[in-house]
Amino acid sequence: MKEDGRFKTNIPWLIFLTAIIVLPIIVRSNYIVSVMFFVAIYGMLSIGMGLLMGQAGLFSLAHPTWFGLGAYIPGILSARGIIPPLPGIFVGAICVALIAYIVGAPVLRLRGFYLACATFAIILIAQVVAAQLTNLTGGPEGLVGIPALSLGGFVFKTDLHFYYLSWAFCLGCYWFCSNLINSRIGCAMKSFHDSEVASQSIGVNVAKYKLQIFILTAVMASFAGSIFCFYLRFAVPDSFGFPLLVELLMMIIIGGVGHLRGPLTGTFVVLWLTELIHGYLGKIFPVMTNEVDAIFFGILIIIVLIFMPRGLTGWIDQLINLGRKLYDRFRGSTT
Amino acid sequence: MTLLSQIIQYAISGITSGSIYAIVGICWSTVFLISGVMNFATGEFVMLGGMLTWVFFDAGLGLAYAVILAITCTVLIAILLERIVIRPVRYPTEMTYMLITIASASVIKGIILITCGSETRTVKPFIEIEPINILGATLIPQAIVVTGVLVIVTLGLLWFFNYTLFGKALRASSINQIAASLIGVDVSKFRLFCFGLAGALGALAGIVITPIAFTGYNITPIAFTGYNIGLMAALKGLVVAIVGGWSIGGTVLAGLALGLVEGFVAGFISTGWKDALALSIMVLFLIFQTIDFSRRRRKIFP
Repeated sequence: MKEDGRFKTNIPWLIFLTAIIVLPIIVRSNYIVSVMFFVAIYGMLSIGMGLLMGQAGLFSLAHPTWFGLGAYIPGILSARGIIPPLPGIFVGAICVALIAYIVGAPVLRLRGFYLACATFAIILIAQVVAAQLTNLTGGPEGLVGIPALSLGGFVFKTDLHFYYLSWAFCLGCYWFCSNLINSRIGCAMKSFHDSEVASQSIGVNVAKYKLQIFILTAVMASFAGSIFCFYLRFAVPDSFGFPLLVELLMMIIIGGVGHLRGPLTGTFVVLWLTELIHGYLGKIFPVMTNEVDAIFFGILIIIVLIFMPRGLTGWIDQLINLGRKLYDRFRGSTT
Repeated sequence: MTLLSQIIQYAISGITSGSIYAIVGICWSTVFLISGVMNFATGEFVMLGGMLTWVFFDAGLGLAYAVILAITCTVLIAILLERIVIRPVRYPTEMTYMLITIASASVIKGIILITCGSETRTVKPFIEIEPINILGATLIPQAIVVTGVLVIVTLGLLWFFNYTLFGKALRASSINQIAASLIGVDVSKFRLFCFGLAGALGALAGIVITPIAFTGYNITPIAFTGYNIGLMAALKGLVVAIVGGWSIGGTVLAGLALGLVEGFVAGFISTGWKDALALSIMVLFLIFQTIDFSRRRRKIFP
């Protein structure tokens, strides 16, 4: 039964993998490939955040900061010529893990929205620091002069190269997280999500697991940031702030946090909706900035939170269950 | 400028901005204590107050009418927010409330951006007298108005919460909602009232900062009004409310203290680090509260 079940659940996963690999070969459109690149980048962020919120119940909002640090550390190191880009990504991840440890150890003692407030403050503090350390980060004007990412003799230049790189990282993170959920840490996570006192009393080291999961998702976000930075070859403090946080929350809420595929679905839906909105409403409103997008997405968040609290994937699961029940009843009445 | 006059100057601007923080902090705590909602739209009430005053003032109404209309509209928007957005949530948790108010804040912000434009706005000062000179420092009349509003609001609320039946019932329902509803307090109406009160106070804070337009030593953080002042105002208010322990007296004290500290940091060190300072105070304060010093008396909060 177990072997059979595992094989069955892997079929959609294989279809998804093939679709991702084949997509740029079938649709030779640079536009679609670049949007799908962003889906992978934001997907890595939202998977991590969904894991924290949905599975571990930690309402940490500091993900834009890890994303920004992951962009800035390799960016600065390679722009100064200290470390080449590819090792820089891993050095950046190690640095982010250290910073996440130093920040997380005291902050994760907080609970509920006090944790949310503290991590929210960390985003804005990091943004101010990035804007103020002008000779290190280039200040509000941004960090320039980041060299191209290269592996051996191969230089990542086109959108297609970055598409495959980012999806490799994204699917790796997804695979890693889905294994993590079914592992020992995952069980511990679910237990302290439901009741911290109960899991502590049966001997789960809650503080340790919280810190571990916090650092792991921070490192995932840092990889996303590094790829993002080498894609744009540019970094400004403003792109790692409150608007990014709202976008991430949107993806997570619209997708639903019940399962790992929720945030990824949410990312896909939100980014393509943004493109649609930009395409159709660009003529009506003269200023199409993030704030104007935020009107539509704000309304969407409100509707989703009120009418389908478990997000799109939860809603679809409910529909499937309903259909199955009806089908069973129908079959039962005929036989 | 001598050192003394500099110090006085920074203290004046610190108290001015501190008064605003205190009023916004009171907005947070009234809503949070009664309904348990972390209302991230508080900052947008501040922004709405300022922008709507400008809109009505620009349309040719008198200043007094513009102010009254702006407050009324903000109160209506706050009440609608409670009725349309927050009331229908099916599985109410703290987090859902927080997310839904963040979403509604961005909706309000976007609508104001589309309708009123992205420029900063200002209206004429409320009392038109010459700036007062104190030992070389300049006291702008609007600063007196801001501080006066804080004093009136604080005394009014203290009287309201301690000496009227309605206020006492509000305090009762903030302590235990079920017990309060058992003795005949209509808690759901009170939630509505609290949102309205927060809307009015926020709009008032937004209105009094609108005319602060003073070149030279202007280090008030949120002078003028624009579509994007909401977030920073909300966060400063949140810092003050958390540090002040969600009570009116504590919030006012914390607000004035934060304003003074920020004023001196901005004046003597650098204006850029000012916002990071307030937020790090909050983070450190929260972390400090979790540390168990006595080792005997374990605190559950927070």
